Amino acid sequence: MTTVQPAAIMSGRYQRAFTLAVLFLVVGWHLAGAGGQLLHNGPAYGSFAFQAAMWLVMALAIAVGSVLVLLRGIQGRRAAWAVAVVALAASTAAAAASPAAQMLAVNWAWGSAGWTGLLVLMRRRFGELVLFLAAEAMATLGVQAWDGLHRSDLAGFLAVLAWSTGAQVAVAAGVRALDAAAGQAAAAARSEHIARERAATAEIVRAARHARWLALQESAVPLVAELAAGTADPSDEEVRTRCAVQAARLRRLLAEGDEVPGSLVHELYASADVAERRGIAVEIETAGPLPQVPRPARRAITDAAIAILTEARSQARITLAAVAEGIAVSFVADTGDGVLLPASGDEIVIQQQQDGYMFWAEVRWNSQ
Amino acid sequence: MEQPVTVAIIEDHPVVTEGVASWIRSDPGQRARVVRMAPDLAGLRALPQPSADVVILDLELAGTLVTAQIPELVAAGYRVVAFSGHTDPAIVMETLDNGAHAYVSKEEGRDHLVEAVLAAAADRPYVTRSQARAMLADQQQARPVLSQQERQALLLWFQGMSKASVGRRMSVSENTVRQYISRARAKYAATGRTAASKDALLARAIEDGVLKPGEIIPYQSFARGAGDPPSLGLPGR
Repeated sequence: MTTVQPAAIMSGRYQRAFTLAVLFLVVGWHLAGAGGQLLHNGPAYGSFAFQAAMWLVMALAIAVGSVLVLLRGIQGRRAAWAVAVVALAASTAAAAASPAAQMLAVNWAWGSAGWTGLLVLMRRRFGELVLFLAAEAMATLGVQAWDGLHRSDLAGFLAVLAWSTGAQVAVAAGVRALDAAAGQAAAAARSEHIARERAATAEIVRAARHARWLALQESAVPLVAELAAGTADPSDEEVRTRCAVQAARLRRLLAEGDEVPGSLVHELYASADVAERRGIAVEIETAGPLPQVPRPARRAITDAAIAILTEARSQARITLAAVAEGIAVSFVADTGDGVLLPASGDEIVIQQQQDGYMFWAEVRWNSQ
Repeated sequence: MEQPVTVAIIEDHPVVTEGVASWIRSDPGQRARVVRMAPDLAGLRALPQPSADVVILDLELAGTLVTAQIPELVAAGYRVVAFSGHTDPAIVMETLDNGAHAYVSKEEGRDHLVEAVLAAAADRPYVTRSQARAMLADQQQARPVLSQQERQALLLWFQGMSKASVGRRMSVSENTVRQYISRARAKYAATGRTAASKDALLARAIEDGVLKPGEIIPYQSFARGAGDPPSLGLPGR
């Protein structure tokens, strides 16, 4: 889980910065651009009060839109379109109330409505923004046509459409491109993070294996050299024990394909390592696909392993077998006497038997 | 006195060949005799008649697995005892399915190889711990149905108990333990591909009373039956 968070936070941070940039643009435009035009053309409007009221409605739409994008990020369709429709209605009303002959010249609202729509729709599907900007242009054109459409008016309309709507589409495209880049950067950071973690784990496993290999170099290689030189006599009981221990360690090193830390087999390997340093030859074998064993049961099993391996005189065999609905971990060792094992408990059944020198115990974990 | 069993050792490491030969030589009863040692199968193939009762076959010759050559050896009249450093259950099962009488891992050689060879010569089952492990781990569709006692005996034997201890644990005689394990092995001879050696093993098991002909039931006839509970024949039941 921790590997995912930094990337998500990073990508979120970039997106928020882009949102703020657009927000400044929209607010700046409405205050300075639209507001300035409104004040400059004040006497030209039939009713300045109505235009001012529409300007305030637009400002309110921008405020609500800002809260939505800042608090909820990419907001829901209904809230976004509610804001957009209010902006569209205010701008159309403002245009309709302007004097017929110079509607485009004194119009402050088209640009503001476009920017407001951009603010709330920029992270929704691109088609929605295009739809809104088209509706906005059509509404303004409709007002113009109602007032009487002349060739010069049409040219003016196209000019405003080109620079205003063009700018809005360009900004929206820019935000999308930046969002995509931020997402890629975050994904790259995340995969790098995961790769680093994996490399670190692999390095730990490799180092542990290398350490065991080095230990073998110190113990197995001299033994082989002694045997070759004839200074160690295979008929000597002690030499045979040393051979058995080294052989068991070599086999384990070769058989170790398990790279999952915390697994039961891994923990038993660790217990066996300790016993081997005391000169006990330990074999570990598994049969069947083994289930995951929960921690308390694993502890009961490794506790039994430690108790038995501590009492073993020269050899021990540990097996893990898949049985119906669980696992049977058994120990056979030449302990000489019985070994005191913990009592059976929840989900765990422990059985034992002593046959002369050999001690057998089985810890069975049942998942049911 | 009976004639000693003749043995061919096919093994590409001279040290191992020498070790195997010395185990056979040091058998107190002198029950087996090495008649041939070779690093590959070419020599055996060239002979018109089987030149030994039992072939001890290293499964990896010159770096190549030779499990696929076993049917040919069996068809030529040899009984094969696989002797290998591999302990992977899949390789063990494939070896047995191809008609080998027994599987002895290199770690088990000193204790089990001579006995396995003698059992093979008599077409009797011999189950090492590595073989028991592979049988316990077997998940194949066509595996035979093992009884609860057979599974339990196999499990305790795999765990490392002596057969006498397994008997004490299961409250049966050591001989009964041998029967359980032999029966489980014989059931395997009745599944998978056909081979003369498997038929011989099965016939001997029936003759010895280890198995009754009616007890040979392949697993899948149960599992595939409509309306049967799906848990039937699960391991350990």
